Parts: sequence; structure tokens; C-alpha cells
Amino acid sequence: MEREGPILESLTHRLAETPQDFLAEPRIGPRGKVATAAVVGDMLRLLGRDVSAKRLQAFSEDRFDRNQLAVILILCWLLADDWFQKAGLEAHQLLRLLETDAAELAAQAPSKRYVADADRREELARLALAKLGFRPEGETIAQAQDRLTTLNSTERARVMQAARAAEERARAIRAALAKKAAEESADKWTRE
Amino acid sequence: MNPESITDADRYPTLSESGRRMLQFLREHPHAPIFRNESGNRLTTEDLERVREFERETQSADAGWRPGQLPSWLESFVGQCLKVVPFYRRYDANPGEFHSLPTTSRAELGHDVAQFVPDSVTIDRLINFRTSGTTGHPLLLASHPIVAANYLAFHKRALQRFDLKLQHGAGQVGVVLVGFQRKCFTYVSVTPTMSESGLAKINLHPVDWRDPADRAKYLDALAPEVYTGDPIAFAELSTLPLRGKPRALISTSMSLLPAMRQRLMERFGCPVLDLYSMNEAGPIAVADEAAGGHVLLQHRLYVEILDASGNPVAAGQRGEITLTGGFNFCLPLLRYRTGDFASLEFRRGEPVLMGLAGRPPVRFRTMTGEWLNNIEVTHAFRQFALAQFALHQDREGTLQLRLAGTDLRLNAIRNALLELFGPNQALNIETISNFEGKVVQYTSDLTGAQP
Repeated sequence: MEREGPILESLTHRLAETPQDFLAEPRIGPRGKVATAAVVGDMLRLLGRDVSAKRLQAFSEDRFDRNQLAVILILCWLLADDWFQKAGLEAHQLLRLLETDAAELAAQAPSKRYVADADRREELARLALAKLGFRPEGETIAQAQDRLTTLNSTERARVMQAARAAEERARAIRAALAKKAAEESADKWTRE
Repeated sequence: MNPESITDADRYPTLSESGRRMLQFLREHPHAPIFRNESGNRLTTEDLERVREFERETQSADAGWRPGQLPSWLESFVGQCLKVVPFYRRYDANPGEFHSLPTTSRAELGHDVAQFVPDSVTIDRLINFRTSGTTGHPLLLASHPIVAANYLAFHKRALQRFDLKLQHGAGQVGVVLVGFQRKCFTYVSVTPTMSESGLAKINLHPVDWRDPADRAKYLDALAPEVYTGDPIAFAELSTLPLRGKPRALISTSMSLLPAMRQRLMERFGCPVLDLYSMNEAGPIAVADEAAGGHVLLQHRLYVEILDASGNPVAAGQRGEITLTGGFNFCLPLLRYRTGDFASLEFRRGEPVLMGLAGRPPVRFRTMTGEWLNNIEVTHAFRQFALAQFALHQDREGTLQLRLAGTDLRLNAIRNALLELFGPNQALNIETISNFEGKVVQYTSDLTGAQP
């Protein structure tokens, strides 16, 4: 976060307008539409970095799950912004962001929330900047760090709470199905 | 609810005096079997309205879609699933990209069925459908009294194809569900949407009767309009000296061979419907000779035929029957792979399942080394009235055929197999009285048996 980067709103605005092509289903085996490896290759070239087809192959293998690939596609759209094109980023930095940091985001929320939800857009934009060594324009390092931590922990708390509620309901359903009342009630004309 | 506190008021919330008399008649008849369990329709007045509305909708709607297109209701159904069903919500997918959605199978349902119950479903009235299965994946499925009651709309639709309309009403018995197992869930109930006509689920096995001769006497006293059951139970039913004639038999659970169907039709003098039905989706299709296969019954169930990788096969090719939709609002299905196989063809504008066969295809090796699809064995057995059978090929290539049924023409069956496999084929045939439930019909130890 040593260096000052672009205005945050320019990035969150860009994310809000992510084109459908970057939100389509990533291809995994015979399924899906978008070849993530090709999109990563295009983005790197746009930023003046060329990597071998073999290196890009990682994005076509089953190393990443569906949600992680979908987050990578959104990051590619963000990184294709004019500002990043002029930032002189190295290929290894960009690949690390896509391969490692995207996993952190993917573990936290379904990819589309990083486009549809304002807080998640901000989190993705801030995280991408931070991992590449930048902070939003007009913020101190401390401010940028604070805000990213807050966004991160609020989301983690929300995810935890939702997971707890979901598990509670699942437990209640399992208990209801195990009851004798559920067991004996199956009044249908044919049985399978 | 405390198990001990379940009363008839819980089981039959709208029971009238006439319904009460029907229950008493079914339970207390002098020739009645030992009823091992209790159950009921559990339908409230509000539920009954919904059940009647669903029946009206089913009667007037078309089951199907246009070739090469998706049904019009599909996208909003998928959208809803992605929003309110915990398991599907994790897909984070676009409802419009149907063919990109992952498929599901029995394994996922078996792992935790609670993940498939939509957030909108209230928990306190859940019931379960339990299935032992033939593949070692027992399932406990979420359902609701309304779902159980809605089965009848599809039975009526199936009967309609045979120009049959149910006629019974108050004071009469609508249906007897027959089983023939050592252990069987048995009970009596009434069907409120049919003026509380009687429903009895009985076991024809002598262990459930004070005197085996009571079976025919009891059933003649009940004189049900319809019998439902599997081919094994029907084989036993046909040995009883029944005087009464049902208006239809509905066969489920196991494949019904044409000769067995013919034999039952002759014995009972009524249509015998071969219903393709499963706990996960209810009645899916009914065999209709005029259509050449099983015609679909549900107007909100989309059927795909997929290959082993989950891609749709070319039109007319065989593959795994995969379901989306259904009427069990506690268990909406999204690309659910059934484990059953068929091809799908459009006949006179309606989709028809052709060559329906439960379980994945198995190849058998003949004496010349040629591989035969199990469908060929099914065809060879069409002429025999087998209630149930299982064919296995061991490592040495020897065939083991196990059969259940009555008046089995063992020599003719042997010859039919030898004609397929070659005159020197090693073949053991064993007749057994009862398979005790479903069996996997075709199995093999040979490498290369799974195409």
C-alpha cells in the first residue's frame, strides 16, 4: 500500500458495470462458456505482459473451483482498466493476485456479489490494489488498511452468521424428518 | 410432537362420520389382515383446496415442450431454486444458462437432504419418503401431505390415457396398495378428495394374515376400484381366488415385462398401467403402447437425456434420464440424474421415453466374444411373464439367472438366452419365491461390461 493508486470510485464503478461476458459461466471440462485461461492471457497482454501458454494452462485445469474462476474473470475485467494498463505491473504480481488472492475472495462470497453488492465491490477493488502495493487516491496507508479490514471482518461476520442460521435450519429439518409423525405419514396411492 | 400423542385427528384432520365408518370397516372387517402401522392423509381444509386446484391444473395442462426448446416455465423455476434452495444457491449461476448448471444425483440427496429444502418451506408439517434403493444409497426425502395427495392427479391423468375415469365415492374403497414382502408398512386411510373413499395398504404375504384364505375374502369385501403395487405383488394377487374385478391395476417400482402385463390384463380383465415413478419425483410417465414408450405425466417436469459426462445426447440416443422441476415443493429438482436410462423421442408432438430401463446399461459377452446390450436380454424376455429377474455374468462368463414368478417356462427362457448367447453358453437358472424388494436387474463381473 506504499504507493497511491487510482480513485477508488473509478474502480467500483467499473465493477458495477462488469459486462455479461465476464459474468458468464467459466468453462470447466465440457461445461460453461468462458475459457478463463484465454481471458487471463488477453488481460496480461493488454497490460504489456506476455506469459507462455503453458503457464496459462493452470487456469484450464481443475486447480480452481467454479467460484474462484468466476472471481478471476471479474478481476480480469477490473485489471483491464486504463489505470492498471499504465501502472507497470509485473506478470508475477498479477498472476499471484489471480491464483492466490482470488481464492480468499471466492471463499467468502459467490462471485456475483462482487459485482452486485456495493461493499463487496469496494472490498474487491481495495484488495486488488493492496495486493499490488497500492492504496486508493487520497487515503493514508492507515486509512486504507482500516477500511479494508473493516470490510473484510464485517463480511466474515455476516458469512458466519448466515452459515450458523443455515445449519440451524438444516438441523431442524433433519430432526423434523426423523420424527415418527413424519415417518408414518405417507398417504399416497402408489409407492415406489 | 410426542409419538404417543398422534391421534386420528392428526392423521385425518377433516374426517367425517362417513370417513370414520370407512376406517372402521377397513380395520375391523372379520377377514382383515394385521395392520402393522398407522398413517393418514393429514390434509387440512386449506390443503384440500390446494390439492383440488392442483388436480384441475394437471388435467388441463399439457406435459411437454417443443423439440429443441426448453419449457417456458423453466427459467423462472431455475431462478427460484438458485435463490431459495441452499444447495443450489451455492451454484451462484445464471438461471438463463440452463445447460451450464451442474447435475445432481442420489449421492447429493443422500448426503444431506436438508440442503434441498427451500427456505420458504415451513418445517412443522414435513413428512418423509424413505427409499432403500438398489445401489446402496438409502434416501430419506422431504415431502408434505399435499405432495402425497397430489400423486392422485397424475394417476388420474394416466388412467385417462386408457379412457378410464375413477367412479368410486363415499362408502366405497378407491384403492388397495398391495405388497408381497416379509416386512411391509401397512395401514388404512381415506382419500378426502374422493369423498373419503377407502385406502388400504396391505401385505399379501401370509405372515400378515390370521388365515391366508382371508386375503381373497377381505379383498372381495373391499372391492377396490384400483389395485396398485409391483409386479411381484401382482403375481401373488393373481393367484388368489378373487371374485371381484378392479377397473385398473397400476404397477410401479419395477419393470413390468409385456407378457407379465398381458397375463395380468387377462387375469383381472382390466387395463394394467405400467407407471414410471420414483420417490424423488413421483409419477413421471406411463407406458402407452400406442405411443411406443412411456409418455410423460407432469406438466412442470423437464426431462433431459444426458451422457456420462453430463452433456445432452443427440436426439433419439440413449442416456441417463435427468429431471428438472417436479411437484414436490419440498424437494425441487435441478438436473437430477435418476440412474435410469432411455431415449427421448417426440411422437405426435409429445415427448416419449423409449426403451426405459432402470440402472446403467450393462453389456454381456456372448460365446463369440460379441458384446450384447442388456436391452437385448429385456427384448428376449418380453414374451415371458416374469414377475422379477436378475441376470449376472461372472468372471468366467457364466450367466446366473434368478427368477421369481409363477408358471415359469424355464426351458423356453433357457432357450431364449442360448439363442442370444450361443448354444454352449454356461447358464445357471435359479427360481426363488421372493427377491425381498428391488434388485439390480443386470450385473457383470467382466471388464468391459460397462459401456
